[in-house]
Amino acid sequence: MSEKIEFKRKFTEIQPIYSMWLREVIRFFNMKPRVISTIVQPVLFLALLALPMSKLFHGAPPEMEQTMFGGLNFFSFLVPGIVGIGLLFGGTMSGVTVLWDKDFGFLKEVMVAPVRRTSLMLGRTFGGLTVGMLQALITIGVASVFGIWYGFKISSLSGFLLAIVFCVLTFFIFSCFGIILGGLFEGTEGFMAFVNLIQMPLFFLSGAMIPISQLKGVPVLYQIQFINPLTYGVDGLRSALTGSTPFFPIWIDIIVLITVAVVFLLLGAYTFSKMEVD
Amino acid sequence: MEDVIVVEGLTKRFGNFVAVNNIDFTVKEREIFGFLGPNGAGKSTTIKILITLLHPTSGSAKICGYDVVKEPYNVRKKIGVVFQDRSSDRVLTGRQNLDLHGRMYTMSKEEREKKIKEVLRLLELEGVENIRLNSLPEGVRRRFEVARGFMTNPKVVFLDEPTIGFDIKARRDLWSQIKDAKEKEGSAVLLTTHYIEEADYLCDRVAIIDHAKIVAIDTPENLKKSVGTMLISFQIGDKNGNGLSYFIDRVKRLDWVIGVLKDNNPIILKIEKGEGRVLDLIEFADKIGFEIISIDEREPNLEDAFLYYTGRTIREAEGG
Ligand SMILES: Nc1ncnc2c1ncn2[C@@H]1O[C@H](COP(=O)(O)OP(=O)(O)OP(=O)(O)O)[C@@H](O)[C@H]1O
Ligand SMILES: [Mg+2]
Repeated sequence: MSEKIEFKRKFTEIQPIYSMWLREVIRFFNMKPRVISTIVQPVLFLALLALPMSKLFHGAPPEMEQTMFGGLNFFSFLVPGIVGIGLLFGGTMSGVTVLWDKDFGFLKEVMVAPVRRTSLMLGRTFGGLTVGMLQALITIGVASVFGIWYGFKISSLSGFLLAIVFCVLTFFIFSCFGIILGGLFEGTEGFMAFVNLIQMPLFFLSGAMIPISQLKGVPVLYQIQFINPLTYGVDGLRSALTGSTPFFPIWIDIIVLITVAVVFLLLGAYTFSKMEVD
Repeated sequence: MEDVIVVEGLTKRFGNFVAVNNIDFTVKEREIFGFLGPNGAGKSTTIKILITLLHPTSGSAKICGYDVVKEPYNVRKKIGVVFQDRSSDRVLTGRQNLDLHGRMYTMSKEEREKKIKEVLRLLELEGVENIRLNSLPEGVRRRFEVARGFMTNPKVVFLDEPTIGFDIKARRDLWSQIKDAKEKEGSAVLLTTHYIEEADYLCDRVAIIDHAKIVAIDTPENLKKSVGTMLISFQIGDKNGNGLSYFIDRVKRLDWVIGVLKDNNPIILKIEKGEGRVLDLIEFADKIGFEIISIDEREPNLEDAFLYYTGRTIREAEGG
């Protein structure tokens, strides 16, 4: 009897999850500055970071560049890294939206709805994910246009689809990470200060800008790369997107990401279920 | 009639501080039940326990037969909530807020459209439903929250200080809208307020709550009656410097004075009904060296009932 009720409940929670997703998406499109920055940000990163940096190797023999960047030129090497920045920043920011909802009172409204908190969390994560994927696709699209002159090309359709999988997993991980942090901090200020602090090392020690192997001689920094989930995300994404040789075997990337995603999801759901509202 | 809320021995402590102290009450189907009490009396805390956001320290509460601690999911399906503080998504329009709310309660598309239309009409919000809440005045946003509270056929709607910050006209309008919505949806309402008139006008029964305790529960009529049949209240000046307590002491002994409800300015006396009380009192005061500055003979109101049960006016209790 009670099992039947439970089943029905799980089943019918698809609509609440959908409604949380829908809210995130409507919110996104209702806030024009966010829409604009989502489009402009990747263009700026590509134009102001990837393009100038790829000039570092101007005049050097192409073989040198290719041995250093796993068979790629520097620009192509940087493109997946820049997609990675978007996933890291965008994902972690989901945590701040939880805090905003706390501040602006909307969290109470959803907390008294007859819906599991896990569903609430999943819904908003999917919502963030949708926006995050939109940005990732824009980045890849714009990079492909620049790529006509700078030698970046998507390797194959299957590679592209696999790249999407890596994007989804990476974003999902940082989204849960953001929600966990959101549960630990009372106000937005503390959260933002901490996120700004932690985003730097996560980003620079992920192989997004500098090949993982280049740091071999630097003790601590080299090892940190191995415990940073973004490292595996960018490594898999880069290999899938460009057809280059990954640093880790690709299945290792996938397994690590899935494991971290599951652990973070559980931790995030736990934090969300313990979150106090008043 | 069935009881939709049954609360027994409910207590909530925050550390050593007791916010809700061993309260009991029941709310009947379709009844408007009011919590009248000053700031910090424990009204919102009680509501938060009933709507499953806080766990009680001890005691029990049931909504439609479901325990708020053991069966929160079933409780949530039966209730609508209008929080004291804002709780809408202001980046969205009123309609989008209502629509998302309906989805959270797994209402079908037809149901949602029908209900949204209905509550928009009840709260007189037609025409502004497609404007983002950001660009609407506070009072309109509040009405959208009330509309949302009634949208899902709730058995009980909780309204935590629904008209706080409203002017008189807007307050009266919302009162009649709440009454209409409650009639149409067949819900019971638990409302908190520190406005005397709100409790008096809207509520079938009122619980007077002070210092975390319920000190009286009854209909507004009976609460007023329990104070007495007639009151006389007056502002007094002390011409000879005898002191107010001297005056009180003397006036108590008049045979038509039943008791003293309030012994500082304005003084309120419980009296027997009769002719010429006002003149008698003015003469009496003059005789013993006091002057009456203003005077009013009237039947007790809910404000007097609050004073009678708590020993202070609600304004004093608010620290104003
Ligand atoms: N989470 C909490 N921790 C500690 N004390 C609390 C907490 N929540 C409420 N209180 C205290 O409990 C008391 C009752 O608060 P409550 O919000 O229930 O009052 P209220 O009757 O709703 O008053 P108001 O008219 O101000 O809304 C207050 O003194 C408040 O400071
Ligand atoms: Mg309150």
